Amino acid sequence: MKTMQNIILAAVLTAVGSAQTISLKGSDTLGAKLIPQMAEKYKAEGHADVKFEIAAEGSSTAFPALANGTAQIGMSSRQIKEEETTECKTKGITLQEHIVCYDMLSVIVNKNSPVANLTKAQVAKIFTGQVKDWAEIGGTPGPISIYTRNTSSGTYKDWQKLAMDGRDYPASSLKMAGNEQIAQEVAKNKGGIGYVGLAYSKTRGVKAISIDGIAPVADNKKTYAYSRECFLYVPENASAAVNSFIEFVHSDSAQKVVDSTGFINAK
Amino acid sequence: MISEENLIRKKGKEGKRGKVVDRLVRSAFAGVTYAIVLVALLLFGKIIKDGAPTLFTSEAPFINVSFLLDKNETLHVFDDEQGVRYKLPASEYSEFIKKNGEDSIYNHSSYSYSGGGIVGPIVGTLLLTIGSIMIALFFGVSAAIYLSEYAKESPFIHAVRLAILNLAGVPSIVFGLFGFSVFVLAVPVITADPSSRSLLTIPLFFGDYVMSFQGWNSSLMAGCATLACMILPVIITASEESLKAVPQGFRDASLALGATRWQTIRRCVLPYSMPGILTSSLLAITRVAGETAPIMFTAAVAAKDDLPWEGADGPLDVLSSQVQALPYHIYTLAARIPNSEYTQQAQYGSVFVFILLVAILSISSMVMRAKMRAKLKW
Amino acid sequence: MFFVIGSIVTISSHALSTLGLCCGAQFLDYPRRWCVSFHLPLDFMPTNSTPKAPSSFSRKGFSFDRVFKYFFASNAGLTIVILLLIIGFLLKEGLGFFPGYQRELQIYRITGMEYIDISRKNLTSHEQLTSVMNRAYFAEINGLADRELQRSTESSAMVSHIDDFTASARDQYFETIEDANPAPALIESAKQKYAALLPLAMKELPLTPHLSAAERQQIIDAMLARPIDNEDTPELVNQLASEYATVRAKFATPLEPMRASIDEFEALGADLSARVSEMSSKVQVIKAELNTADIIERDRKTLLAAADSAKTPEERARLMAEAQTAIGTVPDTATPLRELLSGNEAGQEMHRSMHEKISAWSNNVNVALTQPEAQRLYQVVGKTLPVFLNELSATPQALAAWDAEEPVKLGTAIFSFLTGKDWITGGEWQDFYGILPLFIGSLMIAVVALILAVPAGIGAAIYTNQFASEREQKIIKPVIEFIQAIPSVVLGFIGIFVLGNALRELSISSSLSWFPGFPMEERLNIFTAGCLLALMSIPTIFSLAEDAINNVPGVYSEASEALGASKLQTTFRVVVPAAFSGILAAILLGFGRVIGETMVVLLVAGNRIKIPDFSAGIGAFFQPAHTMTGIIAQELGEVPLGSVHYRALFVVGILLFTIVLGINALAHRFTRNMKH
Repeated sequence: MKTMQNIILAAVLTAVGSAQTISLKGSDTLGAKLIPQMAEKYKAEGHADVKFEIAAEGSSTAFPALANGTAQIGMSSRQIKEEETTECKTKGITLQEHIVCYDMLSVIVNKNSPVANLTKAQVAKIFTGQVKDWAEIGGTPGPISIYTRNTSSGTYKDWQKLAMDGRDYPASSLKMAGNEQIAQEVAKNKGGIGYVGLAYSKTRGVKAISIDGIAPVADNKKTYAYSRECFLYVPENASAAVNSFIEFVHSDSAQKVVDSTGFINAK
Repeated sequence: MISEENLIRKKGKEGKRGKVVDRLVRSAFAGVTYAIVLVALLLFGKIIKDGAPTLFTSEAPFINVSFLLDKNETLHVFDDEQGVRYKLPASEYSEFIKKNGEDSIYNHSSYSYSGGGIVGPIVGTLLLTIGSIMIALFFGVSAAIYLSEYAKESPFIHAVRLAILNLAGVPSIVFGLFGFSVFVLAVPVITADPSSRSLLTIPLFFGDYVMSFQGWNSSLMAGCATLACMILPVIITASEESLKAVPQGFRDASLALGATRWQTIRRCVLPYSMPGILTSSLLAITRVAGETAPIMFTAAVAAKDDLPWEGADGPLDVLSSQVQALPYHIYTLAARIPNSEYTQQAQYGSVFVFILLVAILSISSMVMRAKMRAKLKW
Repeated sequence: MFFVIGSIVTISSHALSTLGLCCGAQFLDYPRRWCVSFHLPLDFMPTNSTPKAPSSFSRKGFSFDRVFKYFFASNAGLTIVILLLIIGFLLKEGLGFFPGYQRELQIYRITGMEYIDISRKNLTSHEQLTSVMNRAYFAEINGLADRELQRSTESSAMVSHIDDFTASARDQYFETIEDANPAPALIESAKQKYAALLPLAMKELPLTPHLSAAERQQIIDAMLARPIDNEDTPELVNQLASEYATVRAKFATPLEPMRASIDEFEALGADLSARVSEMSSKVQVIKAELNTADIIERDRKTLLAAADSAKTPEERARLMAEAQTAIGTVPDTATPLRELLSGNEAGQEMHRSMHEKISAWSNNVNVALTQPEAQRLYQVVGKTLPVFLNELSATPQALAAWDAEEPVKLGTAIFSFLTGKDWITGGEWQDFYGILPLFIGSLMIAVVALILAVPAGIGAAIYTNQFASEREQKIIKPVIEFIQAIPSVVLGFIGIFVLGNALRELSISSSLSWFPGFPMEERLNIFTAGCLLALMSIPTIFSLAEDAINNVPGVYSEASEALGASKLQTTFRVVVPAAFSGILAAILLGFGRVIGETMVVLLVAGNRIKIPDFSAGIGAFFQPAHTMTGIIAQELGEVPLGSVHYRALFVVGILLFTIVLGINALAHRFTRNMKH
């Protein structure tokens, strides 16, 4: 019985997704807000027959999915690593990189904190656990609670490279599931500090601080210390539907969506 | 133990003190019990209070049908020139722009997953639940029949019972791991074009087809199979109970009349235990519907434009597609996207719909159980 | 490969058992079944309905009965198969972890990273000490300047509160102004909204015990008078802030010597810091090369294997060509290591001199602190400094004794997994997989949950079964069992917003500040997670305990009451002890449920991978922690299939499974005793 069932079920299996479904996997930074809205705009502009599937568990989930063929586009908030490129190559897939937007990683503190500016050195010291108390850097005395992303996040790895000189996070950091949770916790904790993508820095109860005097606003995209690019990775032999969506992503109307969701457009 | 003095009930002062202690202890226990009940009721109350406004409207037909039947979209909130506030899901928003142009939008903000309705997650949950219950019922009832009708004490039976007990206790995330490594990555598939990461390919006799052990990928099937494994022990235990509840006299009479074992089961035992089996499987549904960990890696996606049967080439295409699910939707809303009054509405609305579904199922199972009990007179 | 065997077993167990075995077995039972298959009635009274003519199949003696029996048996065996599959796959993926981890630790040693970490440990302790001294310094100043600090903080809190409240109106105003053609209607409505919100904001202002009534009123008036486009803070607030700054400077002056000595201490570590970073950057290059070489080698093997199984000659040629290009050279680790070790003498000397200088420094330090917090921190310094000095003096030996050639044994890998205190993954330096923090986190949350749930659940079970009336039972049982229907995700996020906030408010209130661990640093911590898990496990414990109490034979309580015992005595001296093994089983199964819960702990436990600080006593339960289930859920999505990290998660799964298996076995033994 079970054999028959297996055979019947397995008999006409197709690969994931029919020709008109685009499956995207990867970064929570991109996949929570920006990509769903871009997809909706794309459909509204005359491509109503294309269907999207989005799963956003972290940038590191994009590359195994692309290698296994379970996703057609990978969203990543960090650049692909050497071993991930090779992993895809061994499965016969070469990836093309497309910049979809710029993001500024803003350091957020609780709204009631008197700290409004930090130097890069101070940020590094805080996030590596060297400085443990707000009093050491001019804030209201109290222990510093560090909120970070978890290890599947591209934001996590980017932050390590940009702000911490490659050093490890301290064991006392709390690893949250997404940008939103970090913002929520910092809003509730007077001694909290964290980093989020620009789109989340306007949450109620938090404020973004300037680094070395430069505020994280769009005009400062070239000078702000923690700017990074966000990417879409597409296999070289992607279907026409996928390529057409990628063209749309580079167009003006998609970049307007970028602006409206709080990212910096790639122009 | 019971001492000499207590053999005779005491009256008077000592009796009264005994009474006071009695009352104190009883009220202490009652207090604990009702505290739990109170916390539970408060919890339900909070969910109802926050979720009902999303689901129920003040005009007929009193239910926000669009919340239940629309697909999930981004919510756009903006003002127009006169300062009138609009809250529109993405499709209506783009129509508004087409009609009035881009410049008529002021103070625009958008909230992912908070507009439209939750028909995608509801449908996904229903499909996952029905699929897994069907699989589990088939295998579980058969196993229960064997255990209650045919089994004699033997090492095999002992091993089976041990296995059921242990399966019941396995944590849900371990099932997620199991489902991921087995159903997503390793079960056999018959295809003409095996993937390169397949563990083993066995050529078959017709055409180009091979049986390739490459897994079903993240799909409805993998999710149903994982969830079925999860509730199998529950179904087996519940079915065994209902089968045992049928009086032995039925079987004896049937066997005495010359029926075979299978005929006895088919005609004299199963029909009478079916109601019990079905009601307990309804209760198992409530467990399965609320699980997130097993489906996180085997079937669920956060956003999906289509219901599974739209744009599919046949029933097997439906089975191999990924689905949204209510608990996963709630998880996305709570932990992944910026919180605001609009997302809170969507969150609590989803939670409320979920609790409502579960309540409907439980109540109907209890009603069915009562009716069946009344019909079966033994 | 294991799965192939498993699936073949499964498929064949069905096919063979239902067809082959029954054919074989039926010959043993031939005669009896022959009669039965002919439906021979046992009495020979004529019946109304004539028996159906036996089908040709069964006339041959082959009855479907056996088929069905073996079909059902194989379904029952399916449960064993599933369990074995789970165990098998967990082991298959997980056991590959230890060799992989051993190789990683080997690379860690060969490249010299371990050597650098010996020095780095001292650097970290030095940094910690500096940090504590800084905190003592600032605690002293802030303690002395406390009044001014409070006044300044409270006044800014008032301003922030009002700003927050009117934020929507002001945002709207500023956005509209920025537009190319601002609509006057919108500006007007923004101004009106602002005017309406201001008085409302005044109603809920935070308390300002350190400001006089007149000052408070002054700030309120200033904010009321502020128009919508003005973002300046009121003058009084600025004044208070500058007062605070002045007072701070004033109190800092007598503490100059302390400041100087702290700076001196910090500077003593500069040499070591420079040396460590220099060594690190060199070594990271080597490590990257080693990793690439490993990957290239793996690629080459994969490509060769693919070439072997290629379908067409062109395919094979292409793959072979790619495999040829993938021959990488094994990087030379010996030379860089020699370079590294050439500085060994210098490094040891550096440590020795650092030791001398710090000892000299500590003899010259003389501080008098007045604030209790500062004094406490200074005591911590006093205790940690000797330990640090000891480590410093032991380091030169450790550096000299370090041997790059010493092989890393498999046992070391296993040992460091089971007892390692760090779980660091995705790091730039080195990944460490130690399960201890996760295990302790799970255990502590389970303990909290059980302490809350066991008395509640068992008390409720005793009450419902023994003392409650029929009507009450009808209400209590469904309600408690319905708690199970709430999905864990829902409990998780309600827990964050409702319970987390409530507990945090409770802990901040000054009346409870004597409680160890209060005020809570985080609202997501072990205790909050424990409370929610208690709620989730109460229905399990309740129904199992109630069943156990129910199963006590009625004769026990009847006999007891016949002897004159009161209801209370019967319950507590006869019924409950008799049901004891069942109740114990209920507790154990509740414990198993709690250890295995995933979503709630992922959202609510705080996710800090670190063993909680037990020096705070009970306060350790109010710190955040991570759990075994949570780490799997959080990291499984990320890992590349087959990597060491992936396998580590499966080992965590194996551990979880074993723990739950053990608990189930224990509980099973108790329930067997229960059924007299």
